[in-house]
Amino acid sequence: MVSLYLYDGSFDGLLTAIFECFADRRQPQDIVSQDTYQASLLDELRPVTTDINKAERVIAGIDARSDGRGGELVYQLFLSEQPGIELRIYRLVHLLMRRNDPGILDNFADPDVLYCAQIQKMIRREVHRMHAFVRFQKATNDVFYAVISPDFNVIPLIGDHFQRRYADQSWVIFDSARYYGLFYDLNDLSFIDGDSDIFQQASSNPIGRAELEGQEDQYQTLWKQYFSSVTIQERRNIKLHLRHMPRRYWKYLVEKQVVDRKR
Amino acid sequence: MNRTLEKLTILSDAAKYDASCSSSGSKRANQNKGLGNSDGMGICHSYTEDGRCVSLLKILFTNHCIYDCAYCVSRRSNDVRRAAFTVEEVVDLTINFYRRNYIEGLFLSSGIFKDADYTMERLVRVAKTLRQQHNFNGYIHLKAIPGASPELLHEAGLYADRLSVNIEIPSEMSLKKVAPEKNYPDIIQPMNYLSDEKERYADEKKHLRKTPLFLPAGQSTQLIVGASPESDLQILHLADDLYKQQRLKRVYYSGYVPIATDNRVPDIKAPPLVRENRVYQADWLLRFYQFSVDEIVDEKHPNLDLEVDPKVSYALRNPEKFPVDINKADYEMILRVPGIGVKSAMKIVKSRLYQRLNLDHLQRMGVVVKRAKFFITCPGIQERHKDYETTHLRQLILAGDTAARLSPQLSLFG
Ligand code: SF4
Repeated sequence: MVSLYLYDGSFDGLLTAIFECFADRRQPQDIVSQDTYQASLLDELRPVTTDINKAERVIAGIDARSDGRGGELVYQLFLSEQPGIELRIYRLVHLLMRRNDPGILDNFADPDVLYCAQIQKMIRREVHRMHAFVRFQKATNDVFYAVISPDFNVIPLIGDHFQRRYADQSWVIFDSARYYGLFYDLNDLSFIDGDSDIFQQASSNPIGRAELEGQEDQYQTLWKQYFSSVTIQERRNIKLHLRHMPRRYWKYLVEKQVVDRKR
Repeated sequence: MNRTLEKLTILSDAAKYDASCSSSGSKRANQNKGLGNSDGMGICHSYTEDGRCVSLLKILFTNHCIYDCAYCVSRRSNDVRRAAFTVEEVVDLTINFYRRNYIEGLFLSSGIFKDADYTMERLVRVAKTLRQQHNFNGYIHLKAIPGASPELLHEAGLYADRLSVNIEIPSEMSLKKVAPEKNYPDIIQPMNYLSDEKERYADEKKHLRKTPLFLPAGQSTQLIVGASPESDLQILHLADDLYKQQRLKRVYYSGYVPIATDNRVPDIKAPPLVRENRVYQADWLLRFYQFSVDEIVDEKHPNLDLEVDPKVSYALRNPEKFPVDINKADYEMILRVPGIGVKSAMKIVKSRLYQRLNLDHLQRMGVVVKRAKFFITCPGIQERHKDYETTHLRQLILAGDTAARLSPQLSLFG
């Protein structure tokens, strides 16, 4: 029989499941979200009820054993949505608890540590790309809208950056793949889903129906013109261009929305 | 609007030859719920089709110029369309591009109309308007015009994150030939003035709690590679002096783009991109890898090897220093191994506290093993360094690089 811990798909749920593994003194065979679990007669199921208290104790435990780095790392790993990430997270927590040495996170010769560091690097890169490639469009209600569909679930990781930068304008960043996003209303930052009023009010672009502010088109035109005139033709290097700006991000970018007949 | 579009076209086209696009290193945080923030790493919001970072709105205030520098498209004797922005136009473009997350800020340079002060005064006015009327905390890089008064330079330092005076031509003798109105003292003087002022503010900060920011991201300059006969040795020594004496944050290098049909500059077919890349790599070795200029180039080898990067070149010229023992050598020596960058060197010294590292570990830590293997010892290494003659080793490395060399990339160390 295989022991499967079944959690509700939330981060707190996963942490609770990890808490229960320790309480049960068992190595889980796997930790699986209810949404993805496929029933099998061979499994010995151990359903877990999410408990914020237990979740917080896990974070406190690993933060105390990692100079405060563990909690953030584990959250980023979770947001990577990689298959099997739950068990990886369990093993990392286990390692930190057992070794009680913050330096262990720098032991890149350990395959689990290395894997986690690599995933974290991918997450950070995606966060950085969102900081770079988000493009706002101003709508008639004076809100700036942007739509993204990142490779990982990075919406919870990018709000701070944009709030610090755009403190004096109201904005929305919407993840169209995961159908939720962020809304900053000049005071607070909150999560919203696709049915939020903020889309109806503006009858705005993110989910298709755009009513842009009068000068929006002009600034987009100016930006495109700027983009095309700063290329030095003698130095054209499309391979390098693509390495920095992979094609899958072009859909965000105003400056790449030109009909390019050469390709 | 159409007029703005036309100006933008002319004045961004003329500004694009400036290689600098950094928006890092400032400490300017958002204040009083204003617009913008530049206390973090600079961000490249886009990349041009030549693969360069687009981080700032990089424009000239005007391309009218009273000077006649041979290497420059805006020179007086060149027949080009001329334009000039107004202060309001530049401010409006900056704010509106910034609000849409197109840019990190503004890089404003200019041709010289009337005189240095008249030009500098306009650049300062743009920065002042952005900071004071729009509470703009994005990044501002202004060109410091040689010959501008200390008062204006000082004011510029209060509003800008970075100032730069471009040297362009890496020796005074050559500069005289191609830019007769310019001279080194006029360029170095503002650099020294700004560097001293920045120091003074830093001192003041130790005693007073509230001192204003002064050039938080420091100064930079640009040297053109290949428009005049200087060797890489001369170029790197000049850069090294600028880092040490004028305390510049960055020296940029720009492979000369044959833009000017002017017989004072060489008539070349294409910009020397490989050489430019090698000079950048050497500059990195100076700044991050603890090399000195003389270890990279010397009187006997005054120019960088175009076939291999300067780190490999160093290793080939100093065979007695290799192989390096991965499990024992100092960080400084690990950093000198071709194929090991700053990040993997850090990983190595941290991880080896826990176990002996083998080749497999290195591979997974991101070391370029096909390059490093000739220069290191650790469990799993087959190659025995002393078995190789330097020339043979060079051949082996080149053979491994053929593919890369066929399409010269502007990447740094692999
Ligand atoms: S002073 Fe500047 S803008 Fe004028 S010609 Fe010389 S390099 Fe060009």
